[in-house]
Amino acid sequence: MGRNVSAIFASFGHAKVYMVSRDIDKSESARDKAYQSVRAESVKNNMYPADYSMLEDCVKESDIVFESSAENWNVKSAVTAQIAEAAAKHMDECRNTVFCTGSSGLSITALSEIFPEELRRNYMGMHMFNPPYSMTLCEMTPTAHSNRELFEAAMDYCRSVLFRTVVEVKDSPAFLGNRIGFQFINSALQYAERYKDNGGIDYIDAILGPFTGRNMAPLMTSNFVGLDVHKAIADNLYQNTDDFAHEDFIFPEFADKLIAEGNLGRKSGGGLYKTVLHDSGAKIHLVYDIGAGIYRPVMKYTFPFAEAMIDAFHEGDYDKAFRVLTNNHSLEAKIGCGFLLKYVLYSLRATELVGYEISSADDAMAAGFNWCPPLAMIQAFGGTDSFATLCRERISPDILKRIDLANLLRRVEPSKYDYRRFVRAKR
Amino acid sequence: MGRFYDNNKVYVLGGAQTDFERNWTKEGKGVVALLKEVVTDSLDDVGISYDDIKVLNSENRVACFVGNFIAENYINQGHLGALLTEVNEAFYGVPSARYEAACASSSVALDAAISRLRCGDYDVAIVVGFELMKTVDSMTGGDYLGRAAFYEKEGQGIQLPFPKLFGKLADEYIAKYGLDEQRYLDALARISDINYGNAKRNPLAQTRKWFMDYEQASHRDTETNMLVGGRLGVADCSQVTDGAAVVVLASERYIEEHPGYKENPVVKGFGHRTAPFLFSKKMADNKDSEYVLPWTKQAVDDCYRRSGLTVDDIDCFETHDCFTSSEYAAISAFGLTEPGKEYEAVESGLIAFDGKKPINPSGGLIGCGHPVGASGARMFLDIYKQVSGKAGGYQVKNVRNAMMLNIGGSATTNYAFVVGRL
Repeated sequence: MGRNVSAIFASFGHAKVYMVSRDIDKSESARDKAYQSVRAESVKNNMYPADYSMLEDCVKESDIVFESSAENWNVKSAVTAQIAEAAAKHMDECRNTVFCTGSSGLSITALSEIFPEELRRNYMGMHMFNPPYSMTLCEMTPTAHSNRELFEAAMDYCRSVLFRTVVEVKDSPAFLGNRIGFQFINSALQYAERYKDNGGIDYIDAILGPFTGRNMAPLMTSNFVGLDVHKAIADNLYQNTDDFAHEDFIFPEFADKLIAEGNLGRKSGGGLYKTVLHDSGAKIHLVYDIGAGIYRPVMKYTFPFAEAMIDAFHEGDYDKAFRVLTNNHSLEAKIGCGFLLKYVLYSLRATELVGYEISSADDAMAAGFNWCPPLAMIQAFGGTDSFATLCRERISPDILKRIDLANLLRRVEPSKYDYRRFVRAKR
Repeated sequence: MGRFYDNNKVYVLGGAQTDFERNWTKEGKGVVALLKEVVTDSLDDVGISYDDIKVLNSENRVACFVGNFIAENYINQGHLGALLTEVNEAFYGVPSARYEAACASSSVALDAAISRLRCGDYDVAIVVGFELMKTVDSMTGGDYLGRAAFYEKEGQGIQLPFPKLFGKLADEYIAKYGLDEQRYLDALARISDINYGNAKRNPLAQTRKWFMDYEQASHRDTETNMLVGGRLGVADCSQVTDGAAVVVLASERYIEEHPGYKENPVVKGFGHRTAPFLFSKKMADNKDSEYVLPWTKQAVDDCYRRSGLTVDDIDCFETHDCFTSSEYAAISAFGLTEPGKEYEAVESGLIAFDGKKPINPSGGLIGCGHPVGASGARMFLDIYKQVSGKAGGYQVKNVRNAMMLNIGGSATTNYAFVVGRL
């Protein structure tokens, strides 16, 4: 991640970037690879490999110091302490330096307090998504101590120089994008367990596939990022938030078991899904069968509602496709529709809690996940009124009681995103 | 002689363009979906409904003109005029046909539409340009595009024939004017950088998230900027793009009935010239001309003459930068510099977004993208947006008249249009 973020600063920012890591060889190999992520060799000339022995000089000379160490308090606080120590020795040079972290969920205010008081005001969160070249979301978090002017200058720099989709978020667990995204993904994991006799993991993914407004089905995404990362985000949200979707963040036991066995996902050779090579050389896609506790071949589910939606999207009949989704009363269509409604409602609520503008959730989900953003999804459902009617019919009364639907929808505005490009005519 | 628009004015009502970043194959969507979106969006933009089309059609006052280069190859589909009946039943019975002139296909469609409105046959014309190019790999696509040249002699069996032809255009420039090679190639790199930079302001541009700078564009023959045709690198090329653009035009009679449109801009002039097909014959043909592409220049001059305007009256341009070398040639064709001195307009910043005569504020074919059959209509829509103040983030200030130049093949078909306010 640090390597790809370096390339963003070195390319769009035309900045001289010191790439500091524990090991100079690693920094050098990162420099040699980084240009590939922005498809431009010219940026190589802007990158300078370094190690921690050179940290002090690098900090002294830089206008922005971006920390991108492992997402773990002990690691991050130790690296941050080293940066703070270097900066403290060069107070004059660092008075206007922006210090930031790429943390996706630790307390930014707590990290800022590692800095001496004079520099604490310069500290902020700058959370980019992977890969940053195609995922342009940048969640920026001021702390209780942040200098507003410097923070706004940094936001403006990210927006107009680095071409990031900048969203200001409060210092809160998982910020905005992952909070919304993992409500959906973790719910999908819970549903996989609940409907394990219908097929479980691949069954739920077949209901929530690309035709519901995303590149990749949710549990495929979990498998891609790894169950360990998924669990860390879900646990953080479960422990530190309390809203109407609180129970959706409970991480299922079967998935804990997979983690314990080292089955994290793609990076460990298998997790929720696993791809094996047959003797003939053919790839066989397997999925974890929750009930049986074994891997079995992925099934090709054919749901009439999904087939009809895909056909309609292929022809560009978007209204027709969404009518199918709302008028089909099969279990699968009901699950799919319910997920999309709750996704929108949770996005609106999360934005109230940790964002500033109602459009922030759209920016977060379009530019961070490549999912059909929530305000655009309301348009796909035929506008706010039809959406509200549908929610009253489909969302459980106790959730409706907790969310004050009318109030939640009052701030809805037309999305700047076109929902049509996000819904795929694909399983 | 009177001006083209003194009588029988043709008004530009508006239109729409798809997001050129989209890959319709990856979305799993077909040509009907593409056409439904762009036609519906364009009718929404101009405030005409499908029911209005039905009424107009009951009096035989509306027609459709479809520009496309080679859907037969890319999507196995011909008979493209009739395809609009799949968009909406309002098109049942509406006269509609396909027009083709390689990358200038939708300019021919525009030309046909404008002529039909001027002569009074119809009152509303819907001009649709489209191409779906991401259905095949780049080598196959490059071979299809070779059919815009003389395929038997210039395309068949040649990998990526078009970059090679426009690489030869670059060679010819250097030779004809005795240019300093480095200065010429650096000017081409600046043209690339300007187009990519402009695309950043255009929310429908294909490359709006991509990185490019002068440094990258000017270092050719590298892993990320490999040579593709003679001296030209990847950064000198336009894009392979899925996309469509629609322009809705109307007759003076229609505007009299619907005075709400009377402030809309009009088509002030056009130019259309065909150069020798074979690139070698083009070059042989130019030996007595000051210009490398005399017929391109002539199309622009015809357009100036018909509109009664000169280069001084044009506030911004959209040109056919299928390669940086073709935009370079357009600079003198527009009359912005003497032939052979085009680098001056690049180096001085004249054609930059904040220059006095911006070229391709949209990002052009390099930055915005190049769905070949749509590009003429896309440029036309963009100059309409500029003169109407509707270009949003890429709006050039105070545009009264704007010109476009769309070429097909190796500058074989040449089309220029001026759209302006009255």
